[in-house]
Amino acid sequence: MIHDSTAKARRSWLGGGMAAREARLAWLLILPSALIVFGLVLFPAFFSIWISFHHVSLGNLNDVFHAPWVGFQNFQLVFNDFAFKFQGWLNWGAAVTTVVYSVLSTILVVALGLLAALILNHKFTGRGLARGIFLFPYIAPVVSVAFVWRWLLDPRPSGVFNDVLTSTGLLHEPMAFLATRGLAIWLVILFQGWRYFPFAMLMLLARLQAIDEALYEAAGVDGASNFQKFLYITLPELRYVMGAIFLLRLLWTFNKFDDIWLLTGGGYGTNVLPVLTYQFSFGSFDFGKGAATAMIQLGALVVFIALYAVTVMRQE
Amino acid sequence: MQPAGSVAPKSFINQLAGHLSWSRLLLSLGLFVFLGMILFPFYWMASSSFKTGAEIAGRAPVYIPSALHLDAYRELFDPAAPHFQAFARNIVNSLLVSVPSALLAVVFSTLGAYAIARLKFGGKSLMLNSILIVYLFPGVLLIIPLFALLAQAGDLVGLQVQDNLGVLVFTYLAQTLPVALYMLTNYFHTIPEEIEEAAQIDGCSRLAVIWRVTLPLSIPALVTVGIYTFMIAWNEFLYALVFLNDRAMFTMPIKLNAIFNDPSPRPNVVMAASTVMTIPVIILFLAFERYLEQGLTAGGVKG
Repeated sequence: MIHDSTAKARRSWLGGGMAAREARLAWLLILPSALIVFGLVLFPAFFSIWISFHHVSLGNLNDVFHAPWVGFQNFQLVFNDFAFKFQGWLNWGAAVTTVVYSVLSTILVVALGLLAALILNHKFTGRGLARGIFLFPYIAPVVSVAFVWRWLLDPRPSGVFNDVLTSTGLLHEPMAFLATRGLAIWLVILFQGWRYFPFAMLMLLARLQAIDEALYEAAGVDGASNFQKFLYITLPELRYVMGAIFLLRLLWTFNKFDDIWLLTGGGYGTNVLPVLTYQFSFGSFDFGKGAATAMIQLGALVVFIALYAVTVMRQE
Repeated sequence: MQPAGSVAPKSFINQLAGHLSWSRLLLSLGLFVFLGMILFPFYWMASSSFKTGAEIAGRAPVYIPSALHLDAYRELFDPAAPHFQAFARNIVNSLLVSVPSALLAVVFSTLGAYAIARLKFGGKSLMLNSILIVYLFPGVLLIIPLFALLAQAGDLVGLQVQDNLGVLVFTYLAQTLPVALYMLTNYFHTIPEEIEEAAQIDGCSRLAVIWRVTLPLSIPALVTVGIYTFMIAWNEFLYALVFLNDRAMFTMPIKLNAIFNDPSPRPNVVMAASTVMTIPVIILFLAFERYLEQGLTAGGVKG
């Protein structure tokens, strides 16, 4: 049915009938959005592939369409870059760090989101207010919250964490938490959990409230404990939402620039591919190398999505 | 009031015991841990903004400022203060970017979403699929080609690309329009088509139907789209960092970054600027919470 009508609409695109008028109006209405999205997203996306095979620097940026072709040289440069490749357990390189960072923060986000959703699914006075407050980390500007956390984790004795840890005797002297290799990456992951759990929470809460109460009542009659109810009713009902949240957050965390840039600047073992892309392009002004890094990132993304489609979506 | 006043204490204890159970205790414990974890950083932001330079630079943190000192705010807004930051200029810049982004996003996405939801035309499914792909496409991958293309286009037509707030508006629109289209299309599907048909039978043209019938019914969704785009533009960091060089043109996030990276660190000023930047977002959110949460669950904010 739908196919029929669209085919008809296409055939009569230039005609003067009702369908043609309707199609023309439709395209007119979509035009502004389409121009912006195609001009500023789709075309640049393809142009990015082109740049990754050419030598583009600050010198020939004004004449970028005549940039010299260099084949896979940019990719070789990235793969051999010390900031990119894995060099041992003390120096992961951006490729491995990105994977560890995005997978672990996504798991943390979903776990914290589930916990928060389970808490807020109970009725108590002030629940509406609590739910509003729970969303603060997610809606507040990333720059503000990143700088608050830097100030809380300040290396001077006047940093809150240093003060609490030294006065309780857990630390002997103040520490530069975000400038300590091996620690900084875990703090950045914790920050991701703190900032993005509300996203998972809201989605899970919506699903939780849609679960049929009768299921729990029936299980209660059969003598199931609260934990059994959670394990055999709640979790299976949440499975697909959790899968969807996991994929979305993984995609976005994998490409997140702001958080790490603002917290550590990509130093002390926290460098990830988006930050590396920025550093290559706007730090050393090698746009070709930057674009190649972005393409490697995009390739990994496509693999992620394909894996997800094969494993998770096929089960549905 | 009650004649049996003497038994009240006992029944109160009983009542309390009835309410207290392990699961309730765990629940409230969890609630308070979450609330503390969330609210303390925000308290620390606001309270630090009222501290003096001496309180900030002391050996131990000052948990409660001695008084509401306005030193940090004076540095941001008072031209007579030392290290005056002219922060009002940055607030205006942020507004000049966020308000047009929000308004244009509402207008463009309303038109586009209406066409997708209601009209029949060839290429519709292609359009919908590309919207979804664009929605998943990360902004950081686009910054290099955009920079190169806009530099080129700027040279061609003599347009100043760097430090141009208008350019930022359009890059933000490109990031937010796909989601806005998606949300509004879904919303328009929930409005019964019969209402529009009735208006058309009464002699209204298509555009008059949109204006007089569809839009008034869609105000919640339009508000949601507008506020989301506003918030995204207000908070955006990377594109502003790349496209703005002149301090007078900085939006708030970039200015905040500049103050933070100042050779002589003044966390109270950074926190004051953070507070100024965060408060409007929190107020907007609380005022429209119900709409915005629905938008969020529809995948509203990419971030």
